[in-house]
Amino acid sequence: MKKLFILLSALLVLAVAGCGGGDSKQSSSGGEPQVLNLYSWADNFDPAVIEKFEKTYNCRVNYDVFANNEELLAKIQAGGALYDVIQPSDYMVTTMRKLDLLEELDKKALPNTQNLVADLRSPSFDPESKHSVVYAWGITGIIYNKKYVKEVPTDWSALWKPEYRGRVILLNDNREVIGMALKKHGRSNNSTDPAAVKEAVDDLKQLAPHVLAFDTDTIKQKFIAEEAWIGTIWSGDASFVYKENKDVAFLVPKEGTTIWADTLAIPKGAKHKELAHKFINFLYDPKISAQNYEYIGYSDPNEKAVPYHSKEYNDDPILKVGAAAIASGEWLTDIGPALPMYDRYWTELKTGK
Amino acid sequence: MKNGKFLIAPLLLWLGIFFAIPLLIVVVVSFAGRTPYGQVIFNWTLENYVRFFEPLYLSIFADTLWVAVLTTVFTIILGYPLAYYIAQLPKKWQQPGLILVMIPFWINFLIRSFAWVIILRSQGVLNTLLIKLGFITAPLQLLYNDTAVMVGMVYSLLPFMVLPIYVSLEQLDRRLLEAAYDLGATPFTAFRKITLPLTLSGISEGTILVFISSLGMFIVPEIMGGAKAALVGNLIQNQFLSARNWPFGSALSIVLAILSLVLITVYYKALAAGKGGGKDA
Repeated sequence: MKKLFILLSALLVLAVAGCGGGDSKQSSSGGEPQVLNLYSWADNFDPAVIEKFEKTYNCRVNYDVFANNEELLAKIQAGGALYDVIQPSDYMVTTMRKLDLLEELDKKALPNTQNLVADLRSPSFDPESKHSVVYAWGITGIIYNKKYVKEVPTDWSALWKPEYRGRVILLNDNREVIGMALKKHGRSNNSTDPAAVKEAVDDLKQLAPHVLAFDTDTIKQKFIAEEAWIGTIWSGDASFVYKENKDVAFLVPKEGTTIWADTLAIPKGAKHKELAHKFINFLYDPKISAQNYEYIGYSDPNEKAVPYHSKEYNDDPILKVGAAAIASGEWLTDIGPALPMYDRYWTELKTGK
Repeated sequence: MKNGKFLIAPLLLWLGIFFAIPLLIVVVVSFAGRTPYGQVIFNWTLENYVRFFEPLYLSIFADTLWVAVLTTVFTIILGYPLAYYIAQLPKKWQQPGLILVMIPFWINFLIRSFAWVIILRSQGVLNTLLIKLGFITAPLQLLYNDTAVMVGMVYSLLPFMVLPIYVSLEQLDRRLLEAAYDLGATPFTAFRKITLPLTLSGISEGTILVFISSLGMFIVPEIMGGAKAALVGNLIQNQFLSARNWPFGSALSIVLAILSLVLITVYYKALAAGKGGGKDA
């Protein structure tokens, strides 16, 4: 049985490698000497920035996308050497470091990363930034529509108010939602203490009947169309909603919250390590990063980029709220053995059991 | 004869590579365990199957079965008259009628689900219309509840019921109906004694298609149900995408597949018994 499985997995790896091989062949037929294989989230770069990099370093960038961290992990484990730069999120960096899937970054080749704001230079998932650099980041807060929510919320308990019943949205993510309830009770959002997690979940079970929907992918539409009045949201998405509907406001509750980041990292065994470092360094050039973040709409973590941004971007009230709250945010780390407990509670919450 | 075997070889290879091998991998993984960081380890355990019998997961399976049964019943209630109507049309209108039933299939399912959101949401097409016409004063909450999930399921699976019923109606020998009328049967009696029994095969094929498809549905509850109603499909999706528990997800998939097989077998047996063993292919 085991032999059979090894044979099957070998077949699979071959199939995956075959696909990758096809990609690189395709690109080398263009006569370019070097290819940077980038594996990232969709729309995470201004295409013009990538073009600029290709011109500057006479190379080609292959941009493949994944939809979630688990997909990234599965593919890197199947044959990570296919990619040169990847973008795991915070907790996935922990996992990948534990599984020894990331190359150590050569800091001497990355002078521009010194432009990062200090609060993002030593995240708990990679305190010395040995294997990853924070790229896009955001913070979870409360979004509310001033037309319906008259009393300015100050803490997470605002979500529980009976007058908002049926108009509350929670992120469709177990770590975010349970983490929020843990914060409400003054705990760490990475708590693995069964009693603390149970207390948080019992509280959430009171909130669940008030929830209109659990949503991360289309949450913006629900607030723009005013289907929802109040809920949890990531700062970048809140800024997007605000551009379409000026009645919404965003704040970070006083108990603290979750902060997240997509990072830049190099998988073990990457073939074009030098080019990968050049790419990462290029992205933290102040002018480049200003152009890039204007396009993607997230908070620019680059301190030196401020003068290159448009006035509209610098004055965005929601990005300002987010930036001011960095210090009150706690990173999600991989909770490893406690994940099944979280998953079980999550299923209970969803099914109301 | 040898040539015949040769011809079927590509098909077998295709099925082997894209059906049998993946299924085998799922079976193998369902007996595996996971490390704290979600890697699959092959320590051969029944733990994943034992876990399925916890009340939490059994109740999700029960809910899913109930939703599937309701979906099937509603598609029959809506689908049979529709298929009947199309089959009654003059020949030249039948084809366009069928194409109208199938057109939605040409559009991505995700997009069609979002279209329903635009129709049903509080500032959506339907609510705006009802308010403008003065039927209601405040928008109705039409989305993100069990009814919305049912609407989405019935909508998306209706063609699977209409098409087989249409085929069976089309093959119906009209002379039998004429004979019935000649012998003094009312239209209702003729329908009950002749049309319905002879199109039962279409209904049963449609039932299988709709029932099985609705068991694995996860997009509709996610988008139109506000991700609140967890069906087995959502539970399985979660195991792969957030819980990082491939073995449990695989075990759930296998249980779902076996359950479907058992139900189909029971269903066909019951059907055959009810018909006295007569089932035309």
